[in-house]
Amino acid sequence: MPTAPSVERRIETYLELHLRPALFIPELKNKKKSAVLEEMVAHLARHQIARQADAVLEVLRQREALGSTGVGKGIAIPHARSTMVAERAVLLARSSKGVEFDAADGNPVHLCFLIVAPPTEHDPIYLQMLAQIVKAVRLAPVRRKILDAPDFDAIRAVIGAQFTNE
Amino acid sequence: MNSQLQALVALQDLDLMIREAKDPKRATQEEELGFPLGGMDKLERTRERLAKQIDERLLQLYERMSRRYARVVVPVEGRICLGCFIGLPTASRRIADSGTVENCENCGRILYRI
Repeated sequence: MPTAPSVERRIETYLELHLRPALFIPELKNKKKSAVLEEMVAHLARHQIARQADAVLEVLRQREALGSTGVGKGIAIPHARSTMVAERAVLLARSSKGVEFDAADGNPVHLCFLIVAPPTEHDPIYLQMLAQIVKAVRLAPVRRKILDAPDFDAIRAVIGAQFTNE
Repeated sequence: MNSQLQALVALQDLDLMIREAKDPKRATQEEELGFPLGGMDKLERTRERLAKQIDERLLQLYERMSRRYARVVVPVEGRICLGCFIGLPTASRRIADSGTVENCENCGRILYRI
């Protein structure tokens, strides 16, 4: 009797679990850091992640004052925890023209992963997701694939492939 | 949400960020991932400015409770305080003198409605 081929199932990373089609901006309208943060927070507010957009925006601006989250190679990962965030979330946004983000290497940012979370006392997942994003986009071909991907599902597949051997 | 409560929320968020950035283990983790944390003095100055906007008694209450709780300002959802998860009585209690800020009768945390 034929048996079904065994399919090895991989446990998804926290990053993959948090990537949602609704929290994807295929092309940012703005090109300056401050306006881009505003655009992304407005998107979070429309999806009831940010309870008060102004408060969430302010905490992200303060985080940028602490040190730019533009890590270089066209990537920015703004992140902050706020009382006015309803749930942990990751918003992914692309910019083909690039965003001035005060990045470490001075180059414009093309991929922006925004992480927000409520101020829970112990939230190791928040930091793990930060590390997972850094790992997922460390290679230039991967960044290119994410930028060229036709839709959100294709991006998610590219990111998932970075963790397949774990 | 009134302006005093908004300022308290901003202060709480900023305090959390400062606390995490000052935590050596946490700061090392962020810096190793490529996030510099050199702007602490800017955050401290912002905190000072923000604290001045808050009614003195309310600020004292916040500071006192911060020593006990990591989160002092918490939401109320369906009459449940999301700080201690105890139901609130129908008649809400206002903090004396502030007139505009409500606190939980069980844990004392400052509440905001969502």
